[in-house]
Amino acid sequence: MKKIFYILSILFFVQNSIAQVNTNLVLSPTPPSSLLQWSVNRETLTFIVFPAAQGTQGQYKIKTEIKLSDGTVVGKTDLNKSKTYTLSSATTIYNATDVVPLESMVFNGKYKSNLEKTGKLPADNYEICVQLVRPPDFVPFSEIKCKSFYLAATQLPILMKPYNEDVLDYDIAKTTIIFRWTPVVPKPKALVTYKILVFEVFENQNPVQAMRSNFPVLSQEVKGVTQYIWQPRGILGEAAYLNKEDTLQITNNKLSDQDYNIKRGKYVWAIQTFDNLGQPLGDGNVNADGVSEPTLFFVSRKVKDIKTDAMGKQAEQ
Amino acid sequence: MKFTLTCFFLFFGFSLSAQEKKTKVSVSGNIGVTYEGYGLNRNPTGFSGYSQRKPWNQVRFTFQPTITTPKFSLPFNFNFNTTPTNVIGPYAGIGKQSIGQFITNPSNNFAVNPKYKWAELQLGTQYLNYSNLSTGDVGVFGAGFDLRPDVWRLKFFTGVSQQGVNFFSGGANGSYKRKNWMAQLGMEKEDNYALLFNFAKGKDDKTSIPPPPPGSVLPQEGFSMSVVGKVTIDKNWYANVEGAQSVYTKDLFQLTSPTDVTIKPFLTGNTSTIKDYAAEGAIGHKSKNFDIGVKVKYLGAGFQTVGYPFLQPDRMDYLLNTRFNAFKNKTNVTASIGQRTNNVSSTALKAKQFIGNLNWFSQINDNWSVNINYNNFGFQSNSGLNPFGIKNVSNDFGIAPTYTWSNTKMVHLLSLSYNYSKYDERDVLTGLTTSNNTHTALLTYVPSFLTKDLTPDFSVMYFINKLPGFKTTLATISTGLALPAFKKKVQLRGQLQYTFSKNNTFTANNNFIASCNIDAKLNKKTTWTNYFSTNYFKYGTESTPVNANYLESNFRTGLMYRFGK
Repeated sequence: MKKIFYILSILFFVQNSIAQVNTNLVLSPTPPSSLLQWSVNRETLTFIVFPAAQGTQGQYKIKTEIKLSDGTVVGKTDLNKSKTYTLSSATTIYNATDVVPLESMVFNGKYKSNLEKTGKLPADNYEICVQLVRPPDFVPFSEIKCKSFYLAATQLPILMKPYNEDVLDYDIAKTTIIFRWTPVVPKPKALVTYKILVFEVFENQNPVQAMRSNFPVLSQEVKGVTQYIWQPRGILGEAAYLNKEDTLQITNNKLSDQDYNIKRGKYVWAIQTFDNLGQPLGDGNVNADGVSEPTLFFVSRKVKDIKTDAMGKQAEQ
Repeated sequence: MKFTLTCFFLFFGFSLSAQEKKTKVSVSGNIGVTYEGYGLNRNPTGFSGYSQRKPWNQVRFTFQPTITTPKFSLPFNFNFNTTPTNVIGPYAGIGKQSIGQFITNPSNNFAVNPKYKWAELQLGTQYLNYSNLSTGDVGVFGAGFDLRPDVWRLKFFTGVSQQGVNFFSGGANGSYKRKNWMAQLGMEKEDNYALLFNFAKGKDDKTSIPPPPPGSVLPQEGFSMSVVGKVTIDKNWYANVEGAQSVYTKDLFQLTSPTDVTIKPFLTGNTSTIKDYAAEGAIGHKSKNFDIGVKVKYLGAGFQTVGYPFLQPDRMDYLLNTRFNAFKNKTNVTASIGQRTNNVSSTALKAKQFIGNLNWFSQINDNWSVNINYNNFGFQSNSGLNPFGIKNVSNDFGIAPTYTWSNTKMVHLLSLSYNYSKYDERDVLTGLTTSNNTHTALLTYVPSFLTKDLTPDFSVMYFINKLPGFKTTLATISTGLALPAFKKKVQLRGQLQYTFSKNNTFTANNNFIASCNIDAKLNKKTTWTNYFSTNYFKYGTESTPVNANYLESNFRTGLMYRFGK
């Protein structure tokens, strides 16, 4: 009987010393691929430390391990460098800044070099395990909490049609222009919103300057699809108009290429992508505004170009 | 501010006009002002199915004189407008601007580039393109130089590319003040060879704005360096290559650790600093009747440069281009074929895009010509978490025969153009492919009077787009007329366009557009241009409320004075 009492007492003591603190880990199943973005988007990871039992005091560290689905550890907290926290009588909420502190995480092999190159882990299925430990010997202070997640670098759309420096026939373009782009990769489960943006490039502007400063002649949101048929309804109006004098000047090579481009009407288009919460997607570009690499296209009166040949011949005769 | 700008503008205009009288100093260029007004009337009141497409009012100024002496030239390039209209970039959503923000807003350019022989001083806003992988797309307001003694090249520029903009909920996204510098060093002989080293850096000032809310803009720092090599052999063969490395800190507020990526003395990194490489190369042959070339471009997944803010990393492109003339130059063919691989760094999500273009033009005889084009863009990615990978294929085929005939008084042109476009998309969950088919036919007739100054044109277009469960039909009739008036001092141009469109079983939408240009030559050096357009659209039963309509109008008037010869 005495032995049983001792064993139960020891078990009770061990139970208290191992799991004196209750915790909970909440993680988005498809977090951003950039580990920096985990800290920026605070809702990505939440780790809750509930109030300890009365009388429990002390300090702890957060021990984090990131593993592949086969259990191989790819990165973990260097507990000698990581922050020490003091147990509180109130609920404490941590996010990725504390749970995955990049300044005290140690990654292995290709994962380390990938992080140095891109700030991201390679696309794969991972598991993150978090536990509180007591300094200085790092004995467990809470149960391990693990969550699985899939990591993939989001690639923004690539513009397909009109392709870069495509010259559209004004007589068709004034009624319709078809825009096509590739979808976001990997395709998110929730519906993404694509905003098609078209800007006129004025004289003396470069295309990116036009994009960053002009009012868009088209700003249209579509959900899920990767094609949009635009009816410009007069907005291309004057840009493409060439009169007889212009056509003769082109025939005689008197109009410089630069002038000809102005006559043609120059536009730049891009796709801005948003997730289902309306936040710009993609952590790849410098601006972090989900805007794809822009593409230039021209609108020209092709018939008039052909007519130029005929008139040129007449002039020669 | 508007008053100050106008005074400044007039003062320079008059002072430069006065200088024209001096014989050794010549001034050429132009000065102009344009007003643009926009109106949108939607009915019934509260109908929001159509959005504004231009600023309500905008005034643009242009001032581009060049003062030239036998040894010295001083070009000015001032272009600016009164109302900010930024939607993308650091000034997106900005309202009232400070002087600093006005000067560095990409809408506005204030540049002076005095030149003396091989030396150029660069002052004000400069869009400097050093190379494809270092800097080229961002305007910087500051000062620098471009020295080109003999074959040597030495360039440096430093300044501010964006000012701090405070975050406003529902307004500006906010931006940190960014200081940039760039340099180029090397040797170059035009159309012969080049060896150039480029450096470009940008760094945000962390203290320039109050901390914006979490999840918005981050203060950043980027440094990139590249080496460019170019060689041309026998004027026909060329080879270009560029290799680059970038180091980029995505958040200057992050902590540091001993293992951070750092490239001293240019950039001291922190835990958000990344480093990667990029390269591109081209080799080819150019001649009057035959061109061929191959281009390859690789951008590492972490390659980022402040000089190209929209550059999409993690990709590899190959492209083969060719152009040739045949049959006594009566046939011209241009073609390209290539592949782009996205997500190169990820074996699981690698996506391949096929690119193929062909354009064939033949002048069959004096009357007939034909243009044929074919474009194919295919995109395919691995499945990742989904049962099927993404697969989108876009195919476009077009044929445009043209017939011209003429007599001593007229040239007639009749052109028929037909385009077929097919776009297939695979559903990543079911694997089913949906086809989106588009047919477009356009008939154009352009009579040209050789003895008169009238230039009319007529066209009819039919368009149909079908995809499962949805059908759009459009038909457009349009006509245009250009004619001179007042002894050719005024050019009049007008266009009328009517479009009928129908979606599924809804009743038709009707659209009427009228526009006209009146360009007048007030004297040898002054032109007055005017443009007016109106666009009336009446929806069928597809709108909510049914039969809504809008009237959109555009008005632009501008005066341009050209000085010098």
